Amino acid sequence: MGHAGGMRGHASAQSGDVGGMGGHLGAPHVGWRSWVTTVDHKRIGILYGVSAFVFLLVGGIEALLIRLQLAGPGQAVVSAQGFNALFTMHGTTMVFLAVMPANAAFFNYIVPLMIGARDVAFPRLNALSYWIFFFGALFLNASFLVGAPPDAGWFGYANLTSKQFSPGMNVDFWLLSLLVLGVSSMIAAVNFIVTILGMRAPGMTLMRMPVFVWMTLVVQFLIVLAFPPVTVGLIFLMFDRFFGTHFYDVAAGGDLHLWQHLFWIFGHPEVYILILPAFGIVSEVLPTFARKPLFGAPVVIYSGVLIGFFGFGVWSHHMFAAGMGPVADAAFSIATMLIAIPTGIKIFNWLATLWGGALRMTTAMHFAIGLVGLFTIGGLSGIMHASPPVDLQQTDTYFVVAHFHYVLIGGSLFGIFAGVYYWWPKMTGRFLDERLGKLGFWLLFVAFNAAFFPQHYLGAIGMPRRIYTYAAGTGWAFWNLVSTVGAFGIAVGVLVFAVNAWRSLRAGAPAPADPWDGRTLEWRTSSPPPVHDFDEIPAVSGRDTFWREKYGPRRGAPPAPAHDHVHLPAPSHWPVVIGLGIALLAVGALTHLAVVALGALVAVVGVFRFALEHHRTPAHAQQIGSLGVDHRKVAMWVFLGSECFLFGTLIATYLAYRGRSVVGPYPHEILNIPVTTLSTFDLLMSSLLMVLALAAVQRGDQRQARLWLFGTALFGLIFLGFQAFEFTTFVHEGLTLQQNLFGSTFFVLTGFHGGHVTVGVIWLLSLWVLALRGRLAPVDAIKVEVAGLYWHFVDVVWIAIFTLLYLIP
Amino acid sequence: MRSALLLGAAALGGCAWDGPMSTVRARSDFARDILYVYGIITWASVAIALVVFAALGVVLLRFREKPGAPLPAQTHGHTLLEIAWTVAPALVLLVIAIPTIQVIFRTQVAPAAQALDVTVRGRQWWWEFRYPSLGVVTANELHLPAGRPVALTLEGPDVIHSFWVPQLGGKRDVIPGRENRLTLVPDRPGEYWGQCAEFCGASHANMGLRVFVDTPEAFARWLAAQRATPAEPAGLAAEGKALYARSACVGCHTIRGVSAGVLGPDLTTFGSRTTLGAGLLPNTIENVTAWIHDPGAIKPGVKMPPLGLTEPQARAIATYLTGLR
Repeated sequence: MGHAGGMRGHASAQSGDVGGMGGHLGAPHVGWRSWVTTVDHKRIGILYGVSAFVFLLVGGIEALLIRLQLAGPGQAVVSAQGFNALFTMHGTTMVFLAVMPANAAFFNYIVPLMIGARDVAFPRLNALSYWIFFFGALFLNASFLVGAPPDAGWFGYANLTSKQFSPGMNVDFWLLSLLVLGVSSMIAAVNFIVTILGMRAPGMTLMRMPVFVWMTLVVQFLIVLAFPPVTVGLIFLMFDRFFGTHFYDVAAGGDLHLWQHLFWIFGHPEVYILILPAFGIVSEVLPTFARKPLFGAPVVIYSGVLIGFFGFGVWSHHMFAAGMGPVADAAFSIATMLIAIPTGIKIFNWLATLWGGALRMTTAMHFAIGLVGLFTIGGLSGIMHASPPVDLQQTDTYFVVAHFHYVLIGGSLFGIFAGVYYWWPKMTGRFLDERLGKLGFWLLFVAFNAAFFPQHYLGAIGMPRRIYTYAAGTGWAFWNLVSTVGAFGIAVGVLVFAVNAWRSLRAGAPAPADPWDGRTLEWRTSSPPPVHDFDEIPAVSGRDTFWREKYGPRRGAPPAPAHDHVHLPAPSHWPVVIGLGIALLAVGALTHLAVVALGALVAVVGVFRFALEHHRTPAHAQQIGSLGVDHRKVAMWVFLGSECFLFGTLIATYLAYRGRSVVGPYPHEILNIPVTTLSTFDLLMSSLLMVLALAAVQRGDQRQARLWLFGTALFGLIFLGFQAFEFTTFVHEGLTLQQNLFGSTFFVLTGFHGGHVTVGVIWLLSLWVLALRGRLAPVDAIKVEVAGLYWHFVDVVWIAIFTLLYLIP
Repeated sequence: MRSALLLGAAALGGCAWDGPMSTVRARSDFARDILYVYGIITWASVAIALVVFAALGVVLLRFREKPGAPLPAQTHGHTLLEIAWTVAPALVLLVIAIPTIQVIFRTQVAPAAQALDVTVRGRQWWWEFRYPSLGVVTANELHLPAGRPVALTLEGPDVIHSFWVPQLGGKRDVIPGRENRLTLVPDRPGEYWGQCAEFCGASHANMGLRVFVDTPEAFARWLAAQRATPAEPAGLAAEGKALYARSACVGCHTIRGVSAGVLGPDLTTFGSRTTLGAGLLPNTIENVTAWIHDPGAIKPGVKMPPLGLTEPQARAIATYLTGLR
């Protein structure tokens, strides 16, 4: 499949045709403003990387304070509440602000190079993801400045997070920033799925993609599908805290398992979101320095896909102690154990890659082999708590703390360091010092094991997690002290890296284009790569295509390299403006409604300017990628996939809570089926008008296009009118958001759908205005088509809602 | 890896495994069932780890780059080998899965008819134990007769907690609105420590408990003492009782015949408990005095407010309370 579409019309939001190579390439790349407005995937990658390192230090300092407090029994370095805030922020920071953005740094910088592309599919969306992340991260940490850092755990179990038990702004900071960060991850994930599927160089079939690209692709799908459930969970929490709904209110009939399910349906795939990129990095580093191809590469790829797939079926192994009953325990136990098989396969394939190789023990190789060893320990301890009986003794103890630090430091962080040492010369054009690098590795390796291996033992002799103090008689003191010493050793190891990085940037040895005798396309261009990545888009003849070029007999003639003009996206300041608007929304939620209004205004203006910035730039009109489908259409399909999970979660919650309200009014007393049948019919008809509108735009019939676009929007407005009528009637009959569980679930679900309809109406009216101005030619039909996909989806969702809420008693 | 192994060996050899919260010292049927699976999985894991580390060791020793050597053989894969290392872990998992499933179902059966019912209420940040069939209510220290099945019903009036006494078995969450159960037969008399294992707010770390597994005779004696009407105090204790009865204490605490508050622990036989503040401190007059004076200084976030009593007043009440046996 892969290269069918070729690379016609390079898929970026171009500033214009620069016409061949070596000419003027966009705006000057100097000064801080160029960083704020950049849409270059490499610069955004660096922004992600630097941010990740800063937050690694922040989260690290939090960890050191935690370890100081636990160095001995009865310490008073921090208060109980301070400690609770520290472990909450440490977990949240390391997951969302350190490891995820560090991975994003590699996705951004390396993936386009590896697939032979000049940028990602949507460069400005890429910048938008970064800036939303940036403001979300600042917002989360601003909680320290106002003395209200989140303190209910990174997992924020309901109902401890309710207003009753956490009255301060602490939990608000946490939930709002997670919502903001989720938006950022979602945008980035859609972007990278489209990029990887649609922007591969000629000849780069899916199975020829480097394993790192594959793992990136799997991770993006995990993000797209795993974030919606927790987003819905957080929205419930937000409604509970801000508007008095009852999602997590036991007295009103709420079920506290709900949050746990929603959180872990996200939370377990999240583990793979954190670790699979490291697996991908190692799968590149080991072959390069063993000077052998990855052993059984297809199997390594399939295992990664399987791990991602199974990752959705095991969430409840985080809830074995929550009392789900023996059948659920057994089912989730078996599913969890199954994941060990593809994971084990990866380990064995890495070992087989090394076997018989000619190992060059660079620092990157040290970290990669370190990962293989340390992740083995973390994986095996994971199998131990896949067994519910054993888990009942291990969960919420330091055994689990040891386990996931072996996975997340020994796995993710070691993989990230392997990637940093491996790709640093490519990114900076300079080498890191190998001697300092190896010193740093051994410091990290020894200190890490000193810090975390004893925690297995501490867990086995009963030390629970998240305790700020312990008694002397428990026998936990000595190994806690060892662990603390180890933690400081890790800090020294990280500092050694910082020194190395600093020295390299100032006066590191210059690196050639291909310093490691690499196997993949990123080594085919200069170090650092030119703004446009490749002078000529390379043709791909197989896996490890660059290695084949250098060493291999080529089988058959490779596809001709694509001849294209170099189009570079123009810088844009609308991404940072939108990011700021979203940050203002969050700030406003904690301060004043006026700030919310301001944030909404900034965000909406930003979105419109963003959308219209390149309207009708000729090169922008067509974005057909290697899938043969317009990027925007692929993006919309992916987005709608995540929307399915979003509405699926909302509907599932409604169904799970049906009949649990402790006071009336109840659904059968209030739902008006005849009226809603009318509004459903109206919405269905709008889909028909949408089809007519698209057809009119496609054949260039301006008059009809205007008519049907307006008609579709009007029918959408009529539906909203019906909804407004229904809501006011219900309120008059005593059903409010706060009345009972039925009110909470009903209004949030249908309100969310109404919100989607509203967005659709605004979108359609915007297109209508463009049509009125004669700016919607047949070449712009794709824009109407994408809006149409969204509109049809929203209609289909309503049919599901109408059936499940209204028709089924 | 080497240092990990060394540390591991040190941990296995040099560490004591019988602390008060040890998960590997089983003192009930439930804990023993778990330990049986725990053992199988641990040794299977250690065996797999040794195989991987051995292979890694060989690789690191044998396959270093040698200057001038030609490129190594460019092996792309080996189907049989790959099938082998897909099937082998599956077999190991089968060995783990079978006893796992057996124990899951065996440890979650309905309680026996003669089981002693105890309702455990986890609260921020202490434990209430009710024996509905015996008419006894106590807090933070649970007494159980050895050899008799016990059925614990876990209830939570505020947030989620988790009831965990490692030597008596695995933990089970105490979830408001859901009734969870634990059934077990404690088999050896002794004192066992427990602690809340689900993060529950400010003083989560200070939510300990003690379980005393008594011989049937000792349990009968304890029971009789719990049911007896406390003797009328004299001297300082009598002063303390009077103070208690007219202060805010009565709003939250129950002492049979004196007060009937329900927000705090039942104090009817407070003096018979060994610890204060949910396993926090030894139950001495000094500690109780300090506690009454300013409980928040001892237990962060505690719901009991400072009552504005003078030190002598607090001491009088402490004397009264510690005398309630």
